[in-house]
Amino acid sequence: MSRSNWLKTTAMTAALAGAVFASGTAAAENFKVGYAGGFTGYLAPYDQPSLKGVQLAIDEINAAGGIGGTMPIELIVKDTRSDTAQAAVVAQELVDDGVSVMIVSCDVDPAVASGVIAQAAEIPSVSSCASTPTLPAAVGPYMFSNYTADNLQATVLATYAREQGLENAYVLLSRDTPYTEKLPEYFAEVFAAMGGNVAAIGEFTIGQQDFSAEVTNIKGLDPQPDVIMTAAYEPDFPAFLKQLRAAGITAQVLGSDGIDSPTTFGLGDVAEGVIFSNAGFPSEGSPLAAYEAAYEAKYGEPNDTVFTATGYDAMLIIAAAVEAAGSTDGAAIRDAWDNLENVQVATGTMTYKGQNRVPVRVVALNKVSGGERVHVGDFTPDPSQIPAP
Amino acid sequence: MDVVVQQTVNALALGGTYALLALGLAMVFSVLGLINFAHGELMTVTGYAMFFILSAGLPFEVAVVIGILAAMATAMLMERIAFRPVRNAGTATMLLTSFAVSTILHMLFQNLISARPKALPVPDWMIGALNIAGFDIGVIQLISISATALLLFALTIFLRRSTLGIAMRAAALDFPVTRLMGINANMVISTAFAISGLLAGVAGVLWLAQRGSVDPLMGFLPVLKAFIAVVLGGLGSLSGAVLGGIVLAFIEVALRAFLPDDWLPFRESIALALVILLLLVRPEGLLGRKEAIR
Repeated sequence: MSRSNWLKTTAMTAALAGAVFASGTAAAENFKVGYAGGFTGYLAPYDQPSLKGVQLAIDEINAAGGIGGTMPIELIVKDTRSDTAQAAVVAQELVDDGVSVMIVSCDVDPAVASGVIAQAAEIPSVSSCASTPTLPAAVGPYMFSNYTADNLQATVLATYAREQGLENAYVLLSRDTPYTEKLPEYFAEVFAAMGGNVAAIGEFTIGQQDFSAEVTNIKGLDPQPDVIMTAAYEPDFPAFLKQLRAAGITAQVLGSDGIDSPTTFGLGDVAEGVIFSNAGFPSEGSPLAAYEAAYEAKYGEPNDTVFTATGYDAMLIIAAAVEAAGSTDGAAIRDAWDNLENVQVATGTMTYKGQNRVPVRVVALNKVSGGERVHVGDFTPDPSQIPAP
Repeated sequence: MDVVVQQTVNALALGGTYALLALGLAMVFSVLGLINFAHGELMTVTGYAMFFILSAGLPFEVAVVIGILAAMATAMLMERIAFRPVRNAGTATMLLTSFAVSTILHMLFQNLISARPKALPVPDWMIGALNIAGFDIGVIQLISISATALLLFALTIFLRRSTLGIAMRAAALDFPVTRLMGINANMVISTAFAISGLLAGVAGVLWLAQRGSVDPLMGFLPVLKAFIAVVLGGLGSLSGAVLGGIVLAFIEVALRAFLPDDWLPFRESIALALVILLLLVRPEGLLGRKEAIR
């Protein structure tokens, strides 16, 4: 490990230990944003990248003088250790620190725990990458979603499958998390509504290393499914896919953004032809491609997950809401946020107006081909087809 | 009938991995009375060692060997640094120490390597399946079953024929008396950790070949399964740990394969309920002896 990397790591560890991490210079008119994230523990794979994106956005905004060119952003980062009880404690500390907006964890449970504290203090909060569409309603009018909602992704995947003429679906879900349960269920709902046949729904446990029983069951289905959909991510998705292909099942496999990771592209032949949805594709000249370049310039390594980009998006949305509100008052920011339309962010555009605080954003479909990511297309589903959360 | 045979093969392959891990836990338990909850992190160490070797452009086989050696070295270091100073402080202290070691390793992996999983590409020949007499058996499954059989055989020879092995079995029965016979305690304990590292390393390679990536927290769940297997087999019994692992795998695979769809959400609870039922009938575990539990 190089010396600069070591220093970065040490600095990060210090920040994670609960130290206050301030970006920009402290001035009276700073706009304070609190981040209650799981930077250690099981949420670290999602909240650490989100934080990197948020910091990149703040660097860029502050370099231009701050929000509206006049109000620099000060970020206060506190680690929840991926613990739901701690998420509430940390949120209260951030409220006491006087933050005007709070960013919370990627998982629904800690996001709710932090969100209700912010809600009670009438401070708008946003989860950087929780995708359960019922999250904002569960907390209250001050809670916003940022990430592509599960029902949105599922609709795009099901529509694509039907357009490809796929008839019989096998759906694999896990009730361990809302994401791995609901997304496949939304898929099954839309797939059936569009005239497809859901042949069977299987279940797995996250971390289960062996899928031989499920694969043997799939082999016994009559008729054989021509499409297999799951929201499993690693380590389950690679294990499932390998055992599926080893058993000679060649059906089209559809996955969601959880498998958008270097692991999927390193799987070799078994991953060939897998299609998955995510928040955006960095086509040449797109804002996402520009974002990736800025990310590499700041951190010295290429971006390897979309969660940094969606963290960046969340910060841009906060800035847009504050600018539109023209005030740092919680209620004013909330109202302005709820009316944002077509805000340009790294992954595309986002609209909150009329969406009950769950943004509409584009869903990209990607195909794994020769170990590379190939763009299938960008889709914005017809709202009438999106299943109710 | 075909399905039953196929699922039996599936259960044997999974049971092999569980057995390797459970045996590693039981090995250390038999000499120290410690369930080492940092055992799963040895698999993670294997994974990261393989990741760095593969990144350096060396062949997969080299990565496997270095990965297993790394797990053995880490296990011995764990014992030297963390467990030896508290060896006489009681089992509760050692148990808590093992949780501390596990947590410290998680944090080090997350902050010094990456919180995100690292891809671990596996050669294509390992991914396929062979068709033997009409039954699919994955290459990894086949390796899993044969590696388990081979290691168990070698370990049995070692424990029955070598002086160190006999000393270890004696230590499992009565450690103080074994020491009075002139057996070096540090040597015995160090060897137990090295063997547990070897077993964790092999189980780690098998599991990593399936999952295709290594991440900081991957060791937690396997060690939990192994712990259940050890308790089921009988604390303190080495052959019990192996049997426990295989029985646990059979229960899990049978439930996942044959439960009606409506019951599927409860498969884990049913599996654990069955384990509890077995323990009610045989409180010392399947092959446990009362005196071995102290």
